[in-house]
Amino acid sequence: MKVALKIWRYDAVAGERALREYEIDAPVEATLLDCLDIVKDRVDGTLAYRKSCRMMICGSCGMRMDGAAVLACKVRMSEVAEAGHIPVISAMGNMPIVKDLVVDMEPFWGKIRAVTPFLQPGYADPGEKENIVSQQRMDVIHKESLCIMCGCCVSECNSMEADPDFLGPAALAKGMRFVGDARDQATVERLQEYSGEHGIWDCTRCYFCQERCPKGVDPRDAIAKLGAEAVRAGIDSDMGAKHAKWFVTSAKTTGWLRETELVPKTQGIAKSMKEVKFAMGLLRHGKVPPPFPPHVAKHVEEARALYDLVKHDGAQGAAGIVQGEHALSRLEHAEDGGAAAERGPYGPGSFAEPYLPGEETT
Amino acid sequence: MRTVAYYKGCLASLSAKELDTSTQALAPKVGLELIELEAVTCCGAGDIHEAEPDYYLHLNARILAYAEATGADTLMTVCNVCTLNLRQANHALKGDAALLERVNDNLVTVGAPPYSGGVEVMHFLWLISVGEGYELLKGAAHKGLKGLKIAPFYGCQILRPSKLLGFEDPDKPESLERIIAACGGEAVDYPAKIKCCGFPIIQAREDVALAELIQPIEQAKEAGADVMVTPCPLCHLSLDAWQSKLRKQTGKDFQMPILHLSQLIGVAAGLDASELKFKRHVVSVSAVTEKLAV
Repeated sequence: MKVALKIWRYDAVAGERALREYEIDAPVEATLLDCLDIVKDRVDGTLAYRKSCRMMICGSCGMRMDGAAVLACKVRMSEVAEAGHIPVISAMGNMPIVKDLVVDMEPFWGKIRAVTPFLQPGYADPGEKENIVSQQRMDVIHKESLCIMCGCCVSECNSMEADPDFLGPAALAKGMRFVGDARDQATVERLQEYSGEHGIWDCTRCYFCQERCPKGVDPRDAIAKLGAEAVRAGIDSDMGAKHAKWFVTSAKTTGWLRETELVPKTQGIAKSMKEVKFAMGLLRHGKVPPPFPPHVAKHVEEARALYDLVKHDGAQGAAGIVQGEHALSRLEHAEDGGAAAERGPYGPGSFAEPYLPGEETT
Repeated sequence: MRTVAYYKGCLASLSAKELDTSTQALAPKVGLELIELEAVTCCGAGDIHEAEPDYYLHLNARILAYAEATGADTLMTVCNVCTLNLRQANHALKGDAALLERVNDNLVTVGAPPYSGGVEVMHFLWLISVGEGYELLKGAAHKGLKGLKIAPFYGCQILRPSKLLGFEDPDKPESLERIIAACGGEAVDYPAKIKCCGFPIIQAREDVALAELIQPIEQAKEAGADVMVTPCPLCHLSLDAWQSKLRKQTGKDFQMPILHLSQLIGVAAGLDASELKFKRHVVSVSAVTEKLAV
């Protein structure tokens, strides 16, 4: 089949970017990675990209196709070619470009290292006897263990685009892989570490990570599991944790969110006093509903009783999310959408761009 | 007339009443009879899912059970966050008999009806952007929005994760554009229309949230939009109410009016001012109403 590609090239020596078009003959089963190999072999040997296993397990060939992060070895090109579409291939976002489609993964690895990505079993000598972990306990971290650290989630993370120091979906999913590990003895320390300024509560729940992950890790759910474990452990001094807890308090008292109290309950009285002028502006337009009389849901006593009842069901913390995974795993991932935006990935107002060495990130 | 159970959610009950009044006024014009759920609570907005996920599941099961008890097969939402939370719980319960049984035991213990899995959760946008609802909408929007340039803003949790939402291509959605076209308006395109408005962290991480929020507003302005429209009251709140903070922080005064989906269609359908309630907006909508001579 004939396959045409537009590839954003970046020449590190000349510091120039250019969108170049290539057309090749490829076998009908060819993946995007196969097509890049053909371009490199037969058309332009200077094209740079990463690859290794070619079977979705090494995580080397993360890149963008039509603005969406993909593993090049996972994307079959026949449908795209048949449709006559010419996809735009570019480097992943939120990381600096080294050359063409190759990004510098060092910021990524730095965040992985920051979550202490290894087991801390609390002993130096494992002794003679094996420690056997039940399948049920391993199921808790099944999805997080699937991560191949390709960076597709980080590429699209909306919070990291706004805060480059955000630990981000890959590192936090890795953190959950150890927080949920029955053998790890550093759970409290980990949860404290991950609950810092650029941690769990920095996630804006855009779900791009979940959408892009080629392995079904569902990093956003992993972050929610960390939040649930932190709250359960009483590590809840961050404003994000207080914000989340206020929804629980609201549901088990009035049933509906007690909106007006949310700001002082999240930020504390002193900080929220600074927001008085802003709040007055909202008040004029009815955006600050009076807390009294409270807006109470009909039969709210049921919601109150449920709160006390579920405490005894053994599905507290992350287990409350894990229990839903059995059913959710049967849902197929939607197709990648293939012909996403035709706009160039580096145009004005585009998604989180990879940045050049030495450039400011935001 | 299609009968659906109607879940307002927290914001449309209080701070975004204009969303509720315009939705209720519009519904019969697009073939929907709404049975408003009264004995329901907050869906947890993703926050209870993160703080106490088992409680989140029970609260949402209870909402689904009360929706099912109305006899309707569809639970209609008007908020992205409610949509994702309810659909997520619905899939978890429908796909796991043991889990559903435990949750139902608890529901019955507290006096709520059990849930048998007979409800589909659909956002208002989905019900009116295809099929019969869309055909009725085209007829109802008789006054049109001629000459108005409209920036559709989808927000996150009506698109992603697509395996739970799945109504349309999450990278190239077009339901809002279809509705804008049906109302005779002109949709403008811009990359951030599918990105995050920052609302979930706007109180805990305001600087991060504002750096997200500015993108869609700035891009919509540059694309020539007179107004932005969103299917989510949380996106609406950040886009509308937090513009003053963007002005303070960046010096950029966008003055971009933000409409709820039901208000935009409501203008085209000739809804009354008492139903549209534009005075409840922080950023004035007068530029829009003047342009359309409403």
